[in-house]
This record gives sequence, structure tokens and C-alpha cells, in this order.
Amino acid sequence: MLKNFRLLSVSLFVLVLIALAGCSEESGADSGDDGESSSDVAQELTYATTSDVVGLSPIDTNDSVSSAMIEQVYETLFVRDPETMEIKPHLAESYENPDDLTWVIHLKEDVTFHDGTPFNAEAVKYTFDEFKSEERAAPRASLLEPVESIEVQDEYTVVLKTKEPYGPLLAALSHTNASIVSPEADKAGDLNQNPVGTGPFVFDEWVQGDSVSLSANEDYWQGAPELESVTMKVVPEYSTAVSMLQTGEVQFIDAIPTEQLPRLESMENVEIQQKEGTPVYYLGFNMNKEPFNDINFRKAVSYAVDREAYVSQLNGLGVKNNSIIGPKVFGYNEEAKDAGYSYDPEKAKSLIEENGFEGQEITLLAANRDMYMKMAEIVQAQLTEAGLDVSIETMEWGTFLDTTSEGNFEMTFLGWSNSTADGSELLYPNLHSDNIGSSNRMAYENAEFDQLVNESRVTVDQDVRKEKLHEANMMAIEDGVWVPMHHGIVTAAFDQSVEGLQLDPTGQWSLYNVSRK
Amino acid sequence: MVGLIMKRFLQLLLLLVGISFLVFMSMHLAPGDPATIIGGPTATESDLQAIRTDLGLDKPVLVQYFDYIRGVVQGDLGFSFQNNQSVSEAITSRFPQTLNLAIASMIVAIVIGVPAGIISAIKQNSWFDVSSTTVALAGISIPNFWLGAMLILIFSVELQWLPVGGLSAPFWTIEGMKQLILPAITLGTASAAMIARMSRSAMLEVIRADYIRTARAKGVKRNTVVWVHALRNAMIPVITVIGLNFGFLLGGTIITEQVFAINGVGRLMIDAIAARDFPVVQGTVLLVATLFVVVNLLVDIIYAFVDPRISYD
Repeated sequence: MLKNFRLLSVSLFVLVLIALAGCSEESGADSGDDGESSSDVAQELTYATTSDVVGLSPIDTNDSVSSAMIEQVYETLFVRDPETMEIKPHLAESYENPDDLTWVIHLKEDVTFHDGTPFNAEAVKYTFDEFKSEERAAPRASLLEPVESIEVQDEYTVVLKTKEPYGPLLAALSHTNASIVSPEADKAGDLNQNPVGTGPFVFDEWVQGDSVSLSANEDYWQGAPELESVTMKVVPEYSTAVSMLQTGEVQFIDAIPTEQLPRLESMENVEIQQKEGTPVYYLGFNMNKEPFNDINFRKAVSYAVDREAYVSQLNGLGVKNNSIIGPKVFGYNEEAKDAGYSYDPEKAKSLIEENGFEGQEITLLAANRDMYMKMAEIVQAQLTEAGLDVSIETMEWGTFLDTTSEGNFEMTFLGWSNSTADGSELLYPNLHSDNIGSSNRMAYENAEFDQLVNESRVTVDQDVRKEKLHEANMMAIEDGVWVPMHHGIVTAAFDQSVEGLQLDPTGQWSLYNVSRK
Repeated sequence: MVGLIMKRFLQLLLLLVGISFLVFMSMHLAPGDPATIIGGPTATESDLQAIRTDLGLDKPVLVQYFDYIRGVVQGDLGFSFQNNQSVSEAITSRFPQTLNLAIASMIVAIVIGVPAGIISAIKQNSWFDVSSTTVALAGISIPNFWLGAMLILIFSVELQWLPVGGLSAPFWTIEGMKQLILPAITLGTASAAMIARMSRSAMLEVIRADYIRTARAKGVKRNTVVWVHALRNAMIPVITVIGLNFGFLLGGTIITEQVFAINGVGRLMIDAIAARDFPVVQGTVLLVATLFVVVNLLVDIIYAFVDPRISYD
């Protein structure tokens, strides 16, 4: 009897544990609506992403997942047309330059934030002042660094003055992080948790680590969007997200890894969109180390790497182009396409022999994510073929960032997303000597090049800027400081019930014109 | 018994201090700077310095450790470097998912493992025994991520019986149970295999004991001997394995959570490690360590119930 009692109490204990777990579950459970079938024409869309947003304030974040959600809730003064790549006014109505240092921006009237705060010159001034404030330490503060003052001229006119003429200003103002926020909401609370913008979707809820939900802004100034609700679901494993797309648990995924493309292509209910994009991926040399600072060595490597062969392994998700500034980035000129040192194994071998680089030991540093490992393996094989002794060192991303910024590497692979699609914003951070020790990881230093990049930044005339960027681009290509491995293709895969989705060459997208049929 | 609990509690405290020190130091000494990750590739050195000051990372490591411990003693696990959420809040909002998953996996493991082991033992060398031993070996050897991906392909994508991911519905609803099935099988398989092997060998040992032969000789029915006399005595080592496994399951949900998009503590930990979010890593490791020790203490207490000969006084 006693024994039975003991057994009973043990089982009771286990039951209580289970019940307790159940009680606490209740508070953590969300609406649980992501299992709906795709045949339902409800205007709802679930988007899967491999990581969570960091926050939902454009001022305080700087990552692509956060940007994707921020794009739907907030808006910028200017936008880049995804087809023509021209910059056009958005929340701005028009602008003029009375002189090279002054930008008078007229704003759209009758726009309100989701919390009812009117959108006006005060809101723009507040946003940009916060963006530039040292205390706030905005991660993308550098976008507006050249702006000296922001003045309210009247209710719907704001005047930006720059220290020097600043060419890429419109590109900077069209960047997601330069979105205009509701001053009232920012003063009252944390925009990261409770975002308030003027965009087509209103924020509902963020379950950290799990999902973000938005709903249609019925009072949107361009008319309410067709989608009634949007959910971003965190699915860390890409192949799981693909399965969820197949079963209709999610309807939209983006940034397709090359190895998943064939599987997605074989699915009947899924459509794929691919577009030439702004990202560039490259092999870079540490210019502070021998023999990587020797132009002949860099030329030899560039001749030895068969980029056509590499790109052919990407299942079409990359374009070969010798230019550092990619075809979809402002400042590109066709002339750069085949400039520099295309694959020529004979030239590579003879350069290596002439300069005594045979058997030179080199270590390729590669981060263990994206396509970097694949790049490293292919480049290793090709450089070995050319007569170098190549090994690969791989690292996890956080360690990699640290190691490269300290300059503890010889050659490495990296990418740049070009989210403003402006060449100045590519060449200045990555290759200008001002940024050696931070974002200029290769420590490239060339006074003539610096001068050209400076000019591209301080000129307001866009044609002159384009010319300067092209010259700078050609110079860096000739210097062989980067071997551009490929220029990115931006991708999305969606359920066939989804209509109207347009990818931007920067990889961003807006759900405003999207509907389900 | 009270003495045992007190003793274990003191041991737990010491252990936690040790673990927190080790984790704290290894996170700080490991390469990778939280500031460079938060600042992104465009941050300048002065931006990074501002971020470090903001996070208190510019102080000496030992000072940082003592500041941290002072907080922990007062019940404050600190705030996430990434999004400033309180670490306790981040953990409590995710723990139920992990606990549900671990309990469901344990149920899968016991329901499959114990009967399989016992039947194998009673029918030693039969086809059942041979095949279950082989399956058990396979179960231990199959990696989680592969098994999970295969289950998704078969049961969600092809047969469309079960959803692919997430534990969004409460587990007592039909939807919630359906969501739990695949992750629980994925995580529970290896434990089921271990429990089966342990049950089999423990049972074999007991069945050969003198008192079992005596019982049979006295005319007690075969089934009564097996399920009443033998099982009870064979359970001690099995309970040990179950306890240990439950500890592992609680701390080992990382891959399963990753594959099935479950928002649990394992994923919180792995994301925090990648982002060098020190306070969250420390908080989650302390939690897992505590659970492990507490589960083992419970196992010791359960021994005393199952086998009255065991006494801790």
C-alpha cells in the first residue's frame, strides 16, 4: 500500500510539473495563425527570415532584417526608383539648391504619423537632430555626418546645410535608416519596441525571437494597402523556411542561398524573382603585409582566379564583372567591366616566376557564412594551380570581424551590400585612407584615389560625380586592391498567390503594392 | 532527506559561482568584440569606443565580473547588449517552449525506450531483440539536424500531416500537440535509444537473480514476476539514465529549436553567442546549469521512493 502511495506521489509530481509548464505557456503563446492554408484568399502575408530584428527604430539599428520591417512602417524623404535607379521625392514634394551647401526641401502636406502626429518640417528636424546626436550614438550617423544644420523654414519646408558641398546627400536621405520618425512617439517611449512612422503598415506586436506583426494603415496618404496584415516569422534554418513555403505556412522568403535554389525551382506553388543587385563580393589583400602590398603579386592572383568558373557554380545567383562599383550602383561605367586583370593562367604563372613568388605560403581567411567558404575553396585550388602554397583559415563571423579590423590576415573575402546604391558610399568607407583602422580593412592608401573620392563626395552636380567615381573605380581596379568575385543577384521566392512584389536592387522590398489572389 | 537537499543546495551555489566565473572569463577572453558587432562594418573607432563605454566594457574584466555577480545576487541578470531587453524577461518568455519540448521528448523517450528495453530482455536474442538493439544503435548515431529535416520532408512536406515549424499554439490544444510531435521525436530519439539499452541490460541482470527464480518456482505467473518483481528492481539505473537525459534535453534543445523554428532558450543562447551578447549568454548558461543540478537532485530523491533501501541520512 505504502509503495503504491509512493509511486502515486511521484506520478502526481510529474503531472504537476507538466501542468505548471502548461500554465506558463499561456502567456508566451501568440495568435497561432501561421498554419493557415494558402488556398485562403485572406489578405495576409507571412514572411520568413533567418534572424530576428534587432529593433524597429531607424535611428537606432543598422541591420538588414530590421531594415526590412522598418521599410514597411516608416518612409524616407526620397526614394530610389527600383527600375531607373533615379532618386525621386517621396515624403518630400520637391527640392532646390540655392547654393552648393544648401538643400531646401519642400515636404508633402496632409501626411500624418500612425499616432496622429502631423508630418512636417519639425518632425524632419527632430529626426535628423536625433540621428546626429552624439548621445544617441546612431549606428549609421555617418550618413548625415556632412550635414551641419537642419532648420525649419516654415511648416512644410526644411533647410539642410552642409559643411562642404555633399553630393551623395539625396542617396543618404533615401536610405532606410534616414526614415522620418514620429517625434511624439520617440519622446514618449522606445521606438525600437513601439515604432511609429508614416508608412503603409502599422506596428502591432513584436514577440522577441519569434515574430513581428503589422497591419494595414487605413489612413495611408497614398491609399490603404491591399494586405490587411503582415507577419515576419523568425525561422533560423533556411531549409525549414523553404519547407514552410512549400506547405503554405509562409508565403514569402528572400536572399535565397545558392544551394537552395534548385529545390525552390522544383516547387510548383512557388515563384522566384531574381534581379541584378547592388551587393559586391570580393577577395581583398592586406596592404600592410608583404608580398600583398606588391602590385605584381596582386596582379598574379587576379590573373590566376577564374571568376567565370566560380560564378558558374552560383546557380545563376551572381554576375561576373571586374568593376568594383557594380552595374546597379551609381558611378558605374561599362568601360570598367573588363578592366583590370581577367583570368589568364599563363600570365599568372609568369608573374609568379619572374617575381620569385613560387611556393609563397599564403593563408586565405574566410568567415564561415554566406558564400565565403565556397569562394575560399575555389580560389585556393586556382592559386595552388598557379604555384602558390595556399591554406584556408575559417572563423565565425564575430571573430572574423574582430580579426580583420585588427589587420591580422593576409587575404580575405568580404562583401558590401551598397544599400544606398551610390558609389561614394562604397569607395569612401572601404578604400579611402580616412577609414584605415576601421572600415577600410585592406588598409588601401592612395592619395590620388582619395582625392577623386573626395571630389565625388563634395560635388553636387551628379554628372561630374559619376565621372569622378568612374575614374576612382578604374584606379582601384588597376591597383588590384580587390578582386571582385561576383556582383550579387537579389532574390525572393513567394507563393503563387502573392502578386505585385517588386524587389529593389539593394535587396529591399515594399509590401505596399502586394496582394494575395 | 532535508540534509541531502541542504547539502546539494550549497553545492549548487558553489557550482554556479564557478560556472559564472568560467563563462564570464571565456566570453571576455574569446575573440570577438560586442561593439564591432553592434556598430557594424561602417563604425569608426570612436563610435566603437562610445558603444564600449555605454555597455561598461571599458572597465577591467574583474570589476565587470563583480558588478555582474552583485546584480545576480539581487536577482538582476542584466540587460541584453543587443536590444536592451532584461535578461530575466528574455529567459522567462522563452523557457516554457524549451520545457514543453524537453518534457514531450522525455515522454517520447520513456514510452519507446522502457518497453523496448524490457521486451528485448525478456525475449533475449529474438528477432525483436536484434532489431530493437540495431534501431537503438542507429537512434544514438543519427544527428538531430538530419533527423529533423527528414521528418519535416516526410510528414510535413510530403504527407502534410503535421506543421513544419514553431510552437505557436498551447500544447494542450490539438494544434499545439501536432506542432510538438516532430520536434519531440527528433530530440527524444537518442534518449529513447539510451533508455532502451539501459533498460535491457538492467532487466537482464535482474531476471537472472535468485529471487526471481524463487518467485517463479513458487508458481507466481511469469507476467507478474516480470512487471512487478523484476521491473521495480531494474528501474534504479534506468531512472538515473532518464534523469541525466532530462538534464541533457533541457540544455540540448539548441539544434531542434533551430531546425523547427522554436523560440526557446537554446536559440536565445546560440544567437547571443554569435552576437557576443555576454549578459544573455551568462544568464542562459546559469539557467541550464541550475536545471541540470536540480534534475539530478530530483533523481536522487526519486531513488529513495523507488528503493526503500536507499537512505540519505
